[in-house]
Amino acid sequence: MAAPTPYTYIQCPCSDVSTLSHPSDPNSPTGTEADEDDRTFDPRAPRSNYSLYPLEYLLYCEDCHQIRCPRCVAEEIVTYYCPNCLFEVPSSNLKSEGNRCTRSCFQCPVCIGPLAVTSVETKPDPRLLAPDNIAAPHSGPYALTCSYCHWSSTEVGIQFEKPNSIHAQLAKLRNGGTTRLTAKERKERRRDPAHRSATTEGEESGEQEDLDLETQFANLKAFYQNQLADPNSADSGLAALGDLGFSSPTSLSRIMSIYTGGSLQDKKAKSRVGAMREALEPDEGLQVANLDESAAIEQLQSEGHDGTACTAQRVDQPPHLGEEHLHGRGRFTSELRPIPYLLRTKRSKRCPICRHIISKPEAKVQTTRFRIRLVAGSYIPSIAIRPLSLSNGGGSASGAAAVPGALLDPLRPTHYLLTFKNPIFETIKVTLGAPSKTPGRFASKVTVLCPDFEIDANTDVWDEALKEGGGGGGGGGERDRERERRRRKREEGSQSNNNHNQLEVGKIWERGRNWVSIVVEVVPASLRVEAGDGPLREDEDVLEIPMFVRVEWEGEAGGDEVGSVPTRDRDTREKRELAYWCVLGLGRIRQS
Amino acid sequence: MSSKRHSILPPAPAGSKPPIHFSSSITIADSALLTGTHPIAIHSESVVHPRARLDSLAGRITVGRRCVVHERASLGAVVGTSGRITEAAVTLGDYVIVEVGAAIEAGETVIGEGTVVGVGARVGAGAVVGKHCTLTPHTEIAAGEVVPDFTVVYSNGMRRTDKRGAAELRNKGLARQIDVLRRMIPSNPAKFA
Ligand SMILES: [Zn+2]
Ligand SMILES: [Zn+2]
Ligand SMILES: [Zn+2]
Ligand SMILES: [Zn+2]
Repeated sequence: MAAPTPYTYIQCPCSDVSTLSHPSDPNSPTGTEADEDDRTFDPRAPRSNYSLYPLEYLLYCEDCHQIRCPRCVAEEIVTYYCPNCLFEVPSSNLKSEGNRCTRSCFQCPVCIGPLAVTSVETKPDPRLLAPDNIAAPHSGPYALTCSYCHWSSTEVGIQFEKPNSIHAQLAKLRNGGTTRLTAKERKERRRDPAHRSATTEGEESGEQEDLDLETQFANLKAFYQNQLADPNSADSGLAALGDLGFSSPTSLSRIMSIYTGGSLQDKKAKSRVGAMREALEPDEGLQVANLDESAAIEQLQSEGHDGTACTAQRVDQPPHLGEEHLHGRGRFTSELRPIPYLLRTKRSKRCPICRHIISKPEAKVQTTRFRIRLVAGSYIPSIAIRPLSLSNGGGSASGAAAVPGALLDPLRPTHYLLTFKNPIFETIKVTLGAPSKTPGRFASKVTVLCPDFEIDANTDVWDEALKEGGGGGGGGGERDRERERRRRKREEGSQSNNNHNQLEVGKIWERGRNWVSIVVEVVPASLRVEAGDGPLREDEDVLEIPMFVRVEWEGEAGGDEVGSVPTRDRDTREKRELAYWCVLGLGRIRQS
Repeated sequence: MSSKRHSILPPAPAGSKPPIHFSSSITIADSALLTGTHPIAIHSESVVHPRARLDSLAGRITVGRRCVVHERASLGAVVGTSGRITEAAVTLGDYVIVEVGAAIEAGETVIGEGTVVGVGARVGAGAVVGKHCTLTPHTEIAAGEVVPDFTVVYSNGMRRTDKRGAAELRNKGLARQIDVLRRMIPSNPAKFA
């Protein structure tokens, strides 16, 4: 098994229950605080799965000075758009037309690939045309086809007359190509005596008209509305039961008003108590359940498992009102309809506490840029992990020649170089805390050789170069700091030059313009399972070190705080602090 | 792969060329690789792209009419223990497309008429793929498997039947594609004679 490359995950403070209570709340129990401090964050705890993020996933609120993860931001939708045609859909359309693209964007119901509109008729052979002839214009009918799995809408008997506005055409088509009647057409048809007689004749000859869902609902609704309007139609024999069950117009009108928005006159209905009869004909919305499933069984026998639609395919199917009755529907891949593309959104993110926007994308669908995007990476130090090999020099012989990706040898001290990079324009002070033993069944020993250090500000590279060249830029304070920094560098430099590659407690390994490297010594645990213990669980061999990081710096005070009077005095500096847990994943321990 | 091949079969003498039967209307790139000891036959109007590999070490290779063998596609590679010599190593029907980097292993493997072997797909030794099948990119057909006509193998081995009935249309399109390829690929069949 390949060991993962070293990684760093940061725990968003929002997942810590103790920080959820208001920070300035004086009534917060202080007795538990000591326990809280002692408590070590366990990266293996099941909850940790939901709170650890790579630095790149995190945002930062400049006003609260706190990390914000995807779980603790409030989202607002900026635009709805179709991922296929990138057309922006106004939110007013969304209410009337639903959350799918209503142009000609469809996904394959079998493999979810994009569908293309193609002409069903074969094109005339171009070689037979005269060379000066313009290619003959495409003519219908058209079908939707998938270029990946070669699904075609002709398989479910659907063809289109026009190559555009497929969505509208599809809504009128049922599988097999029969048209779905609109409400108006249905009404006209019902009134039409010629059609009426035709259907009754059909019934007489034993052919009952199949109702689709929409028609059935419309028929039922019309039937019950008629019943309500005419209370005397009821059989008086059932009147005694009337007040309770569904046969009471009162309770029925209540149910109907839930679905239809209370357009029925409740009061009028209430005054009349009487029973109603149930629907008896297809015209009244009666649909006899088709319990004969022999056709489905036959199809199952001939097509086998491959012919049936899987759960994912059925879930993807858009609700279609024109579809067949519920019995015997949608179990085979041969009944699947094209899926209109689900719309997507662009969202802006707000800090849930101060309501400031911390991420806002450009509203235009075509651009991927952001107007505002406060990523945590530009506020908190990044941590890079590199195995440190101490092969040369008179360093400790215990250092194993660590290769990235190699398995860690149990009980053999290994060294890792942690490089902290400061992204902000202030010098920061970093304090690290790590438990001496990792939590879990197999406790590895961890020693952070230098848990306390400062990282210089992320000054401009060119500023640096100019200063080195003797240019006296910057104010007095800045120059002082610069001098201080150089002095420190010299001191540390002289020391580390004398005993290079010597691991010394309290000394940083290397320092750069805005970064510092320190060494962590790890003695991986042996993965030998004691008798009586359970076997090694999944990923129990991964060595992860929980580490508490506290970052302190002096920032410009005031101004951005709510309610504070902005002071023009630039020298007022305020101490800031940010603390969080992170997890250093070093790799897998070799199983002996 | 190649080291195994040499351990099982006698290495072809360096510089030797397999006997070829080329139709006069084929297009074969100069840099195509033809190796092996058994005959290689390519029928009329087929196109072999540069750096395609045809290896007849384990048996005869036959490419049908109007086939296209793309770059780095390999016909007749011998894998592992299946390195037995058979009468026919690989047989392609007419109108077959073997896409870039696809591999068809030797051992009486048959690809039916009008089938597309997708990019990076692999057809195991002795498999028989039917007519007008589509093997989508990176599909694997196990050795000895029989794939019925008009099968689409997609998405990690899922199968379905192609019901478009567009075979005729596709063949016409392929003919036009071959017309273009002929003008684009400098043919040098004499090199392999
Ligand atoms: Zn905030
Ligand atoms: Zn959070
Ligand atoms: Zn669209
Ligand atoms: Zn598809």
